[in-house]
Amino acid sequence: MFKLTRLIARNANVGSLRGTQQLLPRLFANAPAVSEEENTATTKNADEPIDIPNPFEKDPQQCILCKHNITPHYKNVKLLSQFQSPYTGRIYGRHITGLCKQKQEDVEKAIIRAQRCLLMPGYHKDLDFLQDPKLFDPEKPVRPHKY
Amino acid sequence: MPSYELALVLRQLPRPELISVIKRTAEAIFDKGGIIRKFENLGTRALPHKVSEHGVVHREATHFTIIFDSAPTKLSDLREEFGRDIDIIRRNIFKLEEPEEHKCTLHEEMLPPSYRKDVQEIIDIAKRKQKPKYNYNSGLDYYPFQK
Repeated sequence: MFKLTRLIARNANVGSLRGTQQLLPRLFANAPAVSEEENTATTKNADEPIDIPNPFEKDPQQCILCKHNITPHYKNVKLLSQFQSPYTGRIYGRHITGLCKQKQEDVEKAIIRAQRCLLMPGYHKDLDFLQDPKLFDPEKPVRPHKY
Repeated sequence: MPSYELALVLRQLPRPELISVIKRTAEAIFDKGGIIRKFENLGTRALPHKVSEHGVVHREATHFTIIFDSAPTKLSDLREEFGRDIDIIRRNIFKLEEPEEHKCTLHEEMLPPSYRKDVQEIIDIAKRKQKPKYNYNSGLDYYPFQK
């Protein structure tokens, strides 16, 4: 081990003493050559990829209530009854209605409020609103049913 | 004083008596130091289901809302007072709130589970809860002795 370390030390010393004059100019000679290439690439080459946001990115999805800027209110029974099952009166879940988390929570809160104020039935849909247009299809949920 | 909305469901009554009921409730609010901002008549219609209140079964009712300002400490007193009124079937007091500005989060919710923030948090919790396994330092990837 000692011999090895001595050898390395001697070589290094010799190299540094001699190489100061011969090796260093080579190093400097390489450096400007590289920088010149880079400069030409950035200024002249138009085929180089540019850093821009993805132009093919789709618009972010929005739920139906956010799109039309509607805040559900407990007196707006006609709107709320569209989120209710006509058979059992249950409030459809987020995987069926396709609403965002906040709006679904607002809708559920408003429906429960309306039911407490006797504005809305709890076990069926109001007969006046049975023919209303469907906002979503409960047979085709966005995510699969839990059951 | 914060604003509140009193949603009343009143017994089916002839017009002069209905007016006297509303006057009574309004005066009760004034007596507790409240201010009335608005009256709103939602009309008489059949209830979604029959309601038994004060020993009578109701099938039709008048919906009425009063928007008022009052001290929050007086609300329970008001509620109790309206509860004693025979002509009032239901009374609910809700706080009036401005709808908050909200950005739709549906796009983030529809991403695959591993890209969703809430799922990533759950995975982190599970990783943190994993028990450290004892390391035998034998350099083998199996236990060399019979266990």
